[in-house]
Amino acid sequence: MKKWIPVLSGVTAGFLAATVFFADFNVGTKTAAVDPAVKSNAEKVYVPFGEKDEYYLFASGGHSGQMFIYGVPSMRHIRTVPVFSHDSATGYGWDEHTKELMGGYTWGDLHHPAFSETNGDYDGKWMFATDVGNSRAAVMGLDSFTVRDIIEVPNTSGPHCAAFVTDNTEYIFLPTRFAVPLGSEYASLDEYSEKYRGVMSAVSFDEQTEKLNVAWQVALPPWSYDLSDAGKGISKDWAVLTTYNTEEATTNLEINASQADRDYIVLFNWKELEKMVADGQFDEVNGQKIIFPEKHKGSIYLIPVAKSPHGVDVTPDGKRFIASGKLAPAMTIFSFEKAFAAIENKEFAGERNGIPVLNYESVMEREVNPENALGPLHTQFDDKGMAYTTMFISSEVVKWDPNTGETLDRVAVQYSPGHSVAAEGDTVSPDGKYLIALNKIAKDSYLSVGPSHPESMQLIDISGKMEVIQSAPVNPEPHYAQMIKADKINTFTVYPKDENRPNSVWKQEDTRIERIGDEVHVYGIAMRSKFIFDAKSERPDVIEVNEGDNVVLHLTNIDLDQDITHGFAINMYNLNIEVQPGQTNTLRFKADKAGTYPLYCTNFCSALHQEMTGYLLVKPKK
Amino acid sequence: MNKKLSLSSSLLVSIASVLLFASLFFPWWGMQFIAPQYPEGLDIIVYPNKLEGQIEIINGLNHYIGMKEFSEKNFPELNYLPYIIGGLALLVLGAGWWRRWKGLAATALLYAVGGVLGVYDIHRWLKDFGTNLDPKAPIKIDPFIPPIYGENQIANFITHSYFSTGSFLLGASFLLILWVLWKERKRC
Repeated sequence: MKKWIPVLSGVTAGFLAATVFFADFNVGTKTAAVDPAVKSNAEKVYVPFGEKDEYYLFASGGHSGQMFIYGVPSMRHIRTVPVFSHDSATGYGWDEHTKELMGGYTWGDLHHPAFSETNGDYDGKWMFATDVGNSRAAVMGLDSFTVRDIIEVPNTSGPHCAAFVTDNTEYIFLPTRFAVPLGSEYASLDEYSEKYRGVMSAVSFDEQTEKLNVAWQVALPPWSYDLSDAGKGISKDWAVLTTYNTEEATTNLEINASQADRDYIVLFNWKELEKMVADGQFDEVNGQKIIFPEKHKGSIYLIPVAKSPHGVDVTPDGKRFIASGKLAPAMTIFSFEKAFAAIENKEFAGERNGIPVLNYESVMEREVNPENALGPLHTQFDDKGMAYTTMFISSEVVKWDPNTGETLDRVAVQYSPGHSVAAEGDTVSPDGKYLIALNKIAKDSYLSVGPSHPESMQLIDISGKMEVIQSAPVNPEPHYAQMIKADKINTFTVYPKDENRPNSVWKQEDTRIERIGDEVHVYGIAMRSKFIFDAKSERPDVIEVNEGDNVVLHLTNIDLDQDITHGFAINMYNLNIEVQPGQTNTLRFKADKAGTYPLYCTNFCSALHQEMTGYLLVKPKK
Repeated sequence: MNKKLSLSSSLLVSIASVLLFASLFFPWWGMQFIAPQYPEGLDIIVYPNKLEGQIEIINGLNHYIGMKEFSEKNFPELNYLPYIIGGLALLVLGAGWWRRWKGLAATALLYAVGGVLGVYDIHRWLKDFGTNLDPKAPIKIDPFIPPIYGENQIANFITHSYFSTGSFLLGASFLLILWVLWKERKRC
């Protein structure tokens, strides 16, 4: 009877041993790979071929001087648009028009792109950007994603706190990061408080002529201005910007500009400032109309805020603005209505540099401090008015309710998000579907490319519980971005055939080379798959000049066909331009090197693209 | 046989004349070119007095096979065709109001001859364009004659030739006249 016990225990032990040695315990990890959550995230961001993304993402490229365009939710990089830097992919910076736009600079530090607005909503017509590196403003036309105008902004240095656009694109404001003496003249740093200024410029844009223009400026105190936002709704005539170094330190700012417990938010009424300028309450300095706040009082106020603030963001309803110190744990919600009342009642805590200071308590609505959330930088909003703040130090995005201060949700990102952008998240009507964290570090997230890791942008689904659903590496480096519904942008595909366009040639037989003194004007065409510079010549694709001649080449792409772009480069002459379908472009250069230089089409245009070549022959001086 | 056409027949003939005249304002014939790179298709649309469509793009592509350029000035017909059609329309109108069966029959005959000549003219052009290819063209293909109606393949392009609104109006107008002739064959 008891014989079966050893038998049974033997079988059991054998089965156990077999299980231990041969069973596949990786079942768990295998199923993780097809985790339904992961799969559904892939489906959320997958845009099948033939379909297009729902949003355009315009991400500033910082010191690349470029703007990166992505599709959302796929996070596919669609285009790099050169704005402040030469770009050989598009010939930007070599032809006469773009050379003139760049004004002799070869790079820029592109920050804070901003869409043109109509009634506080993106209208999809223009995109503005600023150059912190060389104090410029630029505008891109969204019908062709090309730069239309770039201006230098005098009296200022480094418009980082820009561009922000008012409700109906009346102005693009460019407050400056670095205080300098007006006109960037020499002045000893010992005279910093007296002679230096942090000038803010109100730039206007003429849609007809496509020109930017500095309308007027405000000589704010010599502090650093960091971020800004225009009001909406009840606050639409107003704007807010953050400032640090109110200590007016002149060296080692990391320490010296972090001494005071409070810095300020500058609150100003641009409608009133505009009126002051109209009434002649300004000084003219270096050709600019400048308002000095200590002299022309009113319209500008200071509100204390936790030290070294970064973002300041107006809620979609325009009733509140949210700011916080970069190093502070808490965010503060301020009320426009309270600020207006305090201004009305002249409830000032005093003056700083001739500007009235409002009481923190009388403007503040509440402080919000999500547990262990550190380094609140920038806030965006969803369609329900909920706020999403990037936490630089604790590497997360926190969702919270501006009405109650209650923390609603949080999600970790990899790593150190600076800004974030929600779909139309800074308009009067955010879309509320997606938010992208613009991370300053990606560290270990992608295939290695050596010591300099790619930065990252992470797409977060905010329609339910926040979840990171896609991650995209980005060229150095994302600073700020704007996300617009794709159907708001209407591009054209071919430049219209304008027979009256100066210097254009539309028929092969009209091509010609004309000499005026030592200037050689070439009126040529590019077409699949040849250049014709002079139809009557024995070799129509050859330009022959004398050493020392100035050559002006006008090239028209007469292929009026979608996507047939031609390039034009000359070997060893460091020249490369592009002519899009139907476009005329002009290249000017001095033929200062005698010799034989092949010229060719750089932009693949057809099966016979390789044959689309010719010669520049430069006859040596005798 | 010397009786006049009935008033209703006369009216039908007038309608036929109006249809013929109206056809002047519509495309008569067209060709669509479809290739992998042009899924949306490229069109040549022929009106009695003008060409429409992506003519310049098609010319740009045709130069690879050495085909001559399509352009309005290459087709002198476009200058006088509207007058011929307008004249024919007037003739039809006249025949309708003259109300003689034989007169109408003669007009219909002229009409038919004109139609045949028109079709022959298209064919002549297609033959000319398809067979007189530049011998120095980068891509050599055998001479070909694209069909007046239907599908054809040239290199990477599938072409569809078709008659369009103007031709249908013309056809309707002609059928109307035939119908009147048939209807009145015994009465007159």
